[in-house]
Amino acid sequence: MRKITIALAKGRLAKQSMKILNQLGIRCDEMNDPDTRKLIFEDPEHGFRFFLAKANDVPTYVEHGAADIGIVGKDTIVEENRSLYEVLDLNLGKCRMCVAGPSSAKECLNNGSLIRVATKYPKIAKDYFNNTKHQTVEIIKLNGSVELAPIVGLSEVIVDIVETGSTLRENGLEVLEEILPLSARVVVNKVSMKMEQERITKLIRDMKQIVESS
Amino acid sequence: MNKRLYTTPEGVRDVYDGECRRKLDLEAKLRSRLHLYGFEDIETPTFEYFEVFSEERGTVKARDMYKFFDRDGNTLVLRPDMTPSIARCAAKYFKDETGPVRFCYCGHTFINNSEYQGKQKETTQLGCELINDSSVIADAEMLAAMIDCLLEAGLKEFRIDIGDVRFFKALVNESELEEDKIQVLKDYIVDKNSFGLVDFLKEENVSADMIEIFKLLPSQFGGVECLDSISTITSNQEALSAISHLKKLYEMMKAYGFEKYVGFDLGMISKYEYYTGIIFHAFTYDVGEPIASGGRYDNLVGQFGKKAAAIGMTIITEKLLLALTRQGLLSAENSVPEIIDAQGTESDAIKKAAALRKEGKSCILR
Repeated sequence: MRKITIALAKGRLAKQSMKILNQLGIRCDEMNDPDTRKLIFEDPEHGFRFFLAKANDVPTYVEHGAADIGIVGKDTIVEENRSLYEVLDLNLGKCRMCVAGPSSAKECLNNGSLIRVATKYPKIAKDYFNNTKHQTVEIIKLNGSVELAPIVGLSEVIVDIVETGSTLRENGLEVLEEILPLSARVVVNKVSMKMEQERITKLIRDMKQIVESS
Repeated sequence: MNKRLYTTPEGVRDVYDGECRRKLDLEAKLRSRLHLYGFEDIETPTFEYFEVFSEERGTVKARDMYKFFDRDGNTLVLRPDMTPSIARCAAKYFKDETGPVRFCYCGHTFINNSEYQGKQKETTQLGCELINDSSVIADAEMLAAMIDCLLEAGLKEFRIDIGDVRFFKALVNESELEEDKIQVLKDYIVDKNSFGLVDFLKEENVSADMIEIFKLLPSQFGGVECLDSISTITSNQEALSAISHLKKLYEMMKAYGFEKYVGFDLGMISKYEYYTGIIFHAFTYDVGEPIASGGRYDNLVGQFGKKAAAIGMTIITEKLLLALTRQGLLSAENSVPEIIDAQGTESDAIKKAAALRKEGKSCILR
């Protein structure tokens, strides 16, 4: 039996998705060992192999077929824009991609003036402003703590993931516009889906049942 | 010393040593297979006017092409794809021909895709096009030629998935969605995203019956039985005729003895307007992308001034070679030439070498 490789986005999402897989009897106890330095884990009994990767890299592994299946947030899928099948919404890690800023920035979103937008997601931000809002903007790519940008005057607004909005509020910012809802998705390599159709569709069907029953 | 002299630009590479020989041998083998199907060789220029490949005539976005200008200010592009060039030739040189015309080709194509994705920008496409034949036999011959080529190359485990864009087009016409909404719908189906698709169709107030059918598209793929299950839930005549076309095709594949390589995927629709009938992709293990693809494009030749049905297929030689290598299917029998020492006995050695070469054996004089 060929092994089916699953790439998981590191962090909370990986733990939550392993829980779903555990309910299907797919176990990988090595992965729960906090001291392990291993990068790749196996469940030989069911013919699965897992690895943890940085979220942004998961679509890349799956597109090239280095992983057959990936579990990753919708934000990463849209930003990376790779050729993949997006087959299941796990309803985990629900949040929203938003335009945020101080309430005073509302005006410059409405009058269509040239503004600066700081974000970790330049493609999503550019697509939203160019193709949905038809507003010319300057995108500034940052790698973290994006909320800082409007506070210190690097940009007028930010585009970022908002879960509860508490970080925004604590920094005097608010959600100004919503771009798209986000949650964790199961993605599949286009060739693997065909070559391992039976096993992959069964796995997805089983995962879907668990998601729908919970 | 200038370091740039040693490296090639990102996305292009040298092919040398045994690999080059293996690639050329493979290409020669596949071409002679195509000759057995009556295809005649054709070469077209590496660069052409941009308009030949513009978006309504190709499957590559304008921004992904290598563009430059000639002295008169015309925009030229390095061909991203072979088919539009062949269609142009067919319209130009076979304008009044009403019988089938068959071409086969092998050439380099260039796509300026984004960097750092581990993808080559220059690839070799080897394929064939059959113009002026809209019959199901033409469809079958094209699929058979592709399967035959892959077998000839030595590939053992692979699958050709066949879809038909007419099926989706018929359903879309029934749903009366607007043009930009159709594009969104296509994206959902191409991504096999049935949950997003259902939400989207509900928002667009598409009837429940139609949603049931569209919902099935992303999941209906596999053996010939998936055609039966979908034909029971629609009464759309055009959609049903597309399905019966595929069934007929399957029967013909059986006659070739190729049915075990064939599968169906009704959710396989093209994002481009280019295709008008069946479309197909070939997959195998260890390569994350299709190694070959093709389809029917009955409107393309017409855009060059000759109304003609056409179908074609292309094998990406590098990807096929990669699959063969990774699956361990290439025999490493690069024969080592015999070495003849010619020091002092030049004329004898030369005669010996000539005799060996006449027998078809390679040798080196030194």
